[in-house]
Amino acid sequence: MNTYFQALLSGIASGAVYGLIALGLSLQFGVMKIINFAHGSFLMMAMYVSLLACNQWGLHPLASAPVTAAVLFVVGWACQRWLIDGIYRKESSREPIGVLIFTTGLWIFMDYGALLVFGPDSRSVSHSWTNEVVVTGDLIFTYPQIAGCLLAGVVTLALVLFMRHTATGRAIRATGQDREAASVLGIDSQRIYRLSFAIGLGVLGVAGALLLSLYPVNPFVGDIFGMRAFVIVVLGGIGSIAGAFWGGIIVGILESVGSQLIPVTYAEALIFLLFLAVMYFRPRGLFGVENE
Amino acid sequence: MMTGTRSSFSRPWLWVGVAALALAPLIGGSQYLLSIAVITLLYAYLALSWNVLGGIAGQLSLGHAAYFGIGAYTSTWLFVNLGVSPWIGMWGGALLAIGAAVIVGMSCLHLRGAYFALATIATSMVLKTLVENADQLLGGPRGMEVTLLRDAPWQFQHTRKEFYYVIALVFTGVALFVNHRILRSRFGYYLAAVRNDQEAALALGVPTTRYKLMAAMISAGMTALGGTFYAQFVLYISPDKVFGANLSVVIAVVCIIGGRGTLWGPVLGALLLLPGEELARAMTGGMVGMDMMLYGLLLMLVIHYEPQGLMAILRRLWRRRAVPGAKEVTP
Repeated sequence: MNTYFQALLSGIASGAVYGLIALGLSLQFGVMKIINFAHGSFLMMAMYVSLLACNQWGLHPLASAPVTAAVLFVVGWACQRWLIDGIYRKESSREPIGVLIFTTGLWIFMDYGALLVFGPDSRSVSHSWTNEVVVTGDLIFTYPQIAGCLLAGVVTLALVLFMRHTATGRAIRATGQDREAASVLGIDSQRIYRLSFAIGLGVLGVAGALLLSLYPVNPFVGDIFGMRAFVIVVLGGIGSIAGAFWGGIIVGILESVGSQLIPVTYAEALIFLLFLAVMYFRPRGLFGVENE
Repeated sequence: MMTGTRSSFSRPWLWVGVAALALAPLIGGSQYLLSIAVITLLYAYLALSWNVLGGIAGQLSLGHAAYFGIGAYTSTWLFVNLGVSPWIGMWGGALLAIGAAVIVGMSCLHLRGAYFALATIATSMVLKTLVENADQLLGGPRGMEVTLLRDAPWQFQHTRKEFYYVIALVFTGVALFVNHRILRSRFGYYLAAVRNDQEAALALGVPTTRYKLMAAMISAGMTALGGTFYAQFVLYISPDKVFGANLSVVIAVVCIIGGRGTLWGPVLGALLLLPGEELARAMTGGMVGMDMMLYGLLLMLVIHYEPQGLMAILRRLWRRRAVPGAKEVTP
């Protein structure tokens, strides 16, 4: 019984970080209705930034999170401003397929660029903190698991509050719901897009720093987590921030508890099967709202 | 938008030119160039197959690797275990893929745009995971080797690349013909209506779900045949290679870059992207990753310049020359 309980709690811990990874994607998806295929590559970039901050400058893995977040925020702003904006505007009346292909190109470009710069090896952060554990009764947790879970929760909550209670947050939500109406009310949609993309990547920066303590980084690490982030976003409901968080937790639990019952590789299929089931019965996702 | 594609199909000089270009590698091509040509044609074929559902019907499928993989695995399994010629086995693969398309279609086709795209990715991932776990039956993650027979055209095998080149040409020709027929049929107009405005099409009494499902079945069956061709050409398949999300994305990208929903767009996309990849590899010789970086850059540049693909660029150039000041017609 205890192994399952342990698996459940570990699943929640890693799931919270998955949720955080998915959060930025959900925000971009919800506001701009774009599929950002480079999301996993940005996560990979965040992990490398965090790795440099920790291993070169000797920063504590947790202290690298704000640094990574800041770097990714700027990258996100620039990316939206100079790269995606133009393509998006060209076809904003249609489905933004262009952005999808563009970010696919960016995904390939970044992954192989990282391969060129950092080589194919997996690297992890060298800090004793990542191996320290807390033991309560029969249950064992590492510090990164606990910190990841708590910080992910805090960041999600902060973002939810920001979106609900600040003028900017409300402007972002309004733009996501109806761009034309928001423009009529004097909201600068270009600025909102830049901000949402930047916030999305900033949050991803925190997630990358946390993930680095749990998982080694290599140029293609984004493929695994990026693809999973898509599943989580749609599972939770596109554009729903809380949905992304809970979607992440569900996937984390499923993966962790599932692999106690069946081979790990099958547990992976379990996630996608759940996804398909949700798509069939609730196309809007678990927390999705029925508007659009 | 389709008037242009239709009339170009009936221009004989165009066909003579295309035929001459298509047959040129047979006369003076090295085996290396021929194999690039074969892969280019295979992707042109796959993009044309994708075009039926993703282009003409406008359903952004990002899970076509599932059908490709089903085709590759079915014919290979039948060939290796029962000695069935892949020429026959490929139809088994196509039938299975059509069945899969019905199942996927019933559960996903009611989803719109991005949701549909993600659901189709997830479907192909489920299938990939299942095949990776089928150690006994399909060799698990290691994959399967096609029994090597060397010069056995009746078993879909030959040591000379010309053999595969001619078959790839025929495959692509047939796919072009299928696309052409759909584009000018009532069925095709219904699909275009679904793509342009599903609500309106529904209101006009178009049974949208049935037509989308038919497009998915045709698209899946064709893609599966391509899977068999790939297995016989490369003589080795693995879940990663034939079921991977990368493959799905590349198939869609080739078609979209060329111009989705058009007749020649998928071919153009393949002609640009696949030799482009090879050229990048040759140019950067030895620098691991550089070729793929250039490839990614190429994708970004084309889309940055024209999100509707190469066909839109060509058509604009053509219009500008033919009818000065003519207005651009967008789909």
